[in-house]
Amino acid sequence: MANQETQLLDDIIVTSRRKMLTLGVASLAGLAIGASAPSAEAATAFYTDADILNFALNLEYLEANFYYLAAFGTTIDKANFASTAAGAPPIALSGTVGTPGTVSGGSLVPFSTIQVASYAIETAVEEGKHVQLLLSALGSSAVAQPAINLGTSFQTLATAAKIPGGSGFSPYASDEAFLVGAYVFEDVGVTAYHGAASLLTSSANLTTAAGILAVEAYHAGLVRTTINYIDPDGTGIGSYTNLISTLRASLSQAALLGAAPSAYDSNPDDFGLATFPVSLGGGSAVTATRLTDADSTNVVAFARNTTQVLNIVTGGGAVNGTTAVSPAMGVFFPAGMNAGPNGFK
Amino acid sequence: MNNLSTFINRGVSRRKFLAGAGASAGTAAALALAGCGGSTESMIPTPTPPTTSFTDVDVLNFALNLEYLEAQFYLYAATGSGLEASEITAGSASSYQNVGSVTLGNAAAVPDLTPSQQEILNEIAFEEQAHVKFLRSALGSAAVPMPDIDLSFFGPLAVAAKITTAATGAGSFNPFASFDAFLVGAFIFEDVGVTAYSGAAPLISAAGVASGYLTAAAGILAVEAYHAGYVRTSLTGRAIAAGSAAAYPYLGDANLVENLRATLTVGNSAAPSTTGSVETLLTLPTSLTSPSAIVAASAADAVGFARTVDQVLHIVYGSPTVGAKGGGFFPNGVNSIFATTTA
Repeated sequence: MANQETQLLDDIIVTSRRKMLTLGVASLAGLAIGASAPSAEAATAFYTDADILNFALNLEYLEANFYYLAAFGTTIDKANFASTAAGAPPIALSGTVGTPGTVSGGSLVPFSTIQVASYAIETAVEEGKHVQLLLSALGSSAVAQPAINLGTSFQTLATAAKIPGGSGFSPYASDEAFLVGAYVFEDVGVTAYHGAASLLTSSANLTTAAGILAVEAYHAGLVRTTINYIDPDGTGIGSYTNLISTLRASLSQAALLGAAPSAYDSNPDDFGLATFPVSLGGGSAVTATRLTDADSTNVVAFARNTTQVLNIVTGGGAVNGTTAVSPAMGVFFPAGMNAGPNGFK
Repeated sequence: MNNLSTFINRGVSRRKFLAGAGASAGTAAALALAGCGGSTESMIPTPTPPTTSFTDVDVLNFALNLEYLEAQFYLYAATGSGLEASEITAGSASSYQNVGSVTLGNAAAVPDLTPSQQEILNEIAFEEQAHVKFLRSALGSAAVPMPDIDLSFFGPLAVAAKITTAATGAGSFNPFASFDAFLVGAFIFEDVGVTAYSGAAPLISAAGVASGYLTAAAGILAVEAYHAGYVRTSLTGRAIAAGSAAAYPYLGDANLVENLRATLTVGNSAAPSTTGSVETLLTLPTSLTSPSAIVAASAADAVGFARTVDQVLHIVYGSPTVGAKGGGFFPNGVNSIFATTTA
C-alpha cells in the first residue's frame, strides 16, 4: 500500500521550488496583505513536504490521543467498547522514523451533557482519521508516535496561564474542564496548518492541508461557541480562554527570535473569548463576541511557523533566551517530537 | 486589461499549467489519498478550473463577490443596514464599473435577540465586512464593484429546498425573522464559503504564493470555517436542547439546504444526482454515546471539502443549468470572468 504514496512523496521531494518558497515566505512578514502572517520558517534549508507533514503528524498524535482518552478512555492504538461503538478504529502505529514513546495521563471524561459528549466523540473520530491519513500518505517516511504527556502537562500549562487552581487542573474532570483542554489545542492546530500551507510544494498536499485546516477551524469554532454558550458573560471558563490565549501569544512571540519581549501583548497572535468593540457599516461601536481567533483589522486567521508551534506545545522548550533549542522538549512532548534528518523538532 | 499586466505577468507561469492541468491536479489529489481508510473514491471533487486564462486578481475578485453577499446579509441581520457606499465602489482599473444595488426583501435587523446573540451577529457581520475591505484593499484599482444582490432570494430558495411551499408572504422562509431562522440563512452560505476558498487555494499562482495571497486565502478560509463551526454547533446544540427534530425544525431545514446544494452542484440539469456530494448532513445526537456532525468533511479522511468555481456559482445562482449567467442571490451575475457556469 505504501508504494504508491512513497513514490508520490519521492516525486514531491524536489528541492527546486524549495528555495523560492523559503524566500517567498520570508518576505511575507513585511507585506501588507500578509499583515497577520508571521515571518515563516527559515530554520532548515532542505526540508520537504514529508517533513512538513510529519510535523503535522506529531500534532495529530497529540490531539487524537487527547480526544480518544477523553471520549473513550483509551489511546488511539487500543480499541475498547466505547471506541468501537463510536466507529473509531484502533490505529496501527506504523510510523518508524525517530524514537517511539508512550502516552501518559488522560482518562474518560464523565460527561453530563449530550452536547459536549457528542462533540468529543465526533472530534476524536476526526482527529484519528487525520493520523491515519498522514500515516498512510507518508508510508515508510512517517515518524513514530513520540512520548506524549496528557496528564501533568495540563497542570503545568494551566499554572503558567494563571488559571485559578491551575496546579490541580484536569481536563478530564467535567464537561467544562474538557472544553478548556480542547481549547488549548484547537486554535493552535489552525495556526500550524495555516503556517504550513504556503510551505508545501505539491498541489495535492496543499489541497489536503487546506482541507485539514478547515476541519481544525470547524473544531475551534465548535469549542469556542460551546464555551460561549455555557459562559456568555465570560466570568468562568470563558475567562480561562483569555488566559490561555495570552500564554500562547507570549510563547509564540518568544519563538520569534530577536523580537523584543515588550511586544508580547501589544500585537498578540491569539485572542480568547473576551468581547471587543467593532464598528458596523460605519456606525458607532458595538460589542462583538470573539468566536473567531483572528486579527482585528483584516480578520484573517493567524499563522505560526514551526518554532512558534513547538514553543507552545513544549511550554517554552523551543527557545532559550534568544537561542533556538532543538529538539524542543517539555509539557506535551517530554522527549520532543520525532522528525526526519531535516525535519522540524 | 493592460492595467492588470503586472499581476498577469507575475502569475502567468503557473497559470498555464493550472488552466490545462486541472485534471492532473485532481489525479494527484486522488493519489495522495488513495491509501487511506481503504477508500479510493476521491472525496475532494476533481477540480475543473475554467480553461480560459485567468489571474490571481480574477481569483480574488471572485472571492470579493461572495464576500459582498455575505457582508450584506450579516450586516442587515445585525444592524438593519448594509455596507457603506464607499465599500462597494469599482476600482478605477476594473473592467466592471456599474455599482450594483441590493434588493432587500425581508432584510432587517433580526428581532428579539438576547444580548449574547446580538454580540455574535455583530461579530460575524464585522468579520465579513472586514473581508470586503481587506480584499478591496489588496486588489486596489482592480477591485470589482458590488454586483446586484437579491436578498429576497431566500424565499424561492427555501421552496426549492422543500423547506416550505410559499416563496413570499405568509408561510415563506424569512432568515431575518428570528435567531433560529437566521442560523438557517447563515447556514446557506458558510459551508460554501469554506469550500470556495479551499477550491481557490490551489488556483493561486506561484508568484501569488510568494506575494502572500495563498496565506491570506488560507487565513480567510479558516475564518469561514470558524463561522461554519459556529452555525453548525448552534443548530446542533439548540436541537439537542429542544429534545427532538420535531421540536426544532431548523436542523432539518439546514439539511434540506444541504440536499439542495448537492443537487445544484453534482449532476447539474442534464442528469440530476447527489452522488459525490460534498456535504455532511447535521445529526441530532440523542445520548452521551452518539457523535455530532459539526464538521463538514470527507467521511473517509476527515478532510474538508473543496468546491470549484462552477459548483459555487450553481449554488449562489440557485441554478443547475450549464451556461447560467446569473440568478438567485446574483440576479445579473457576479462581476467576474467566471460569471457563466461552464460545467
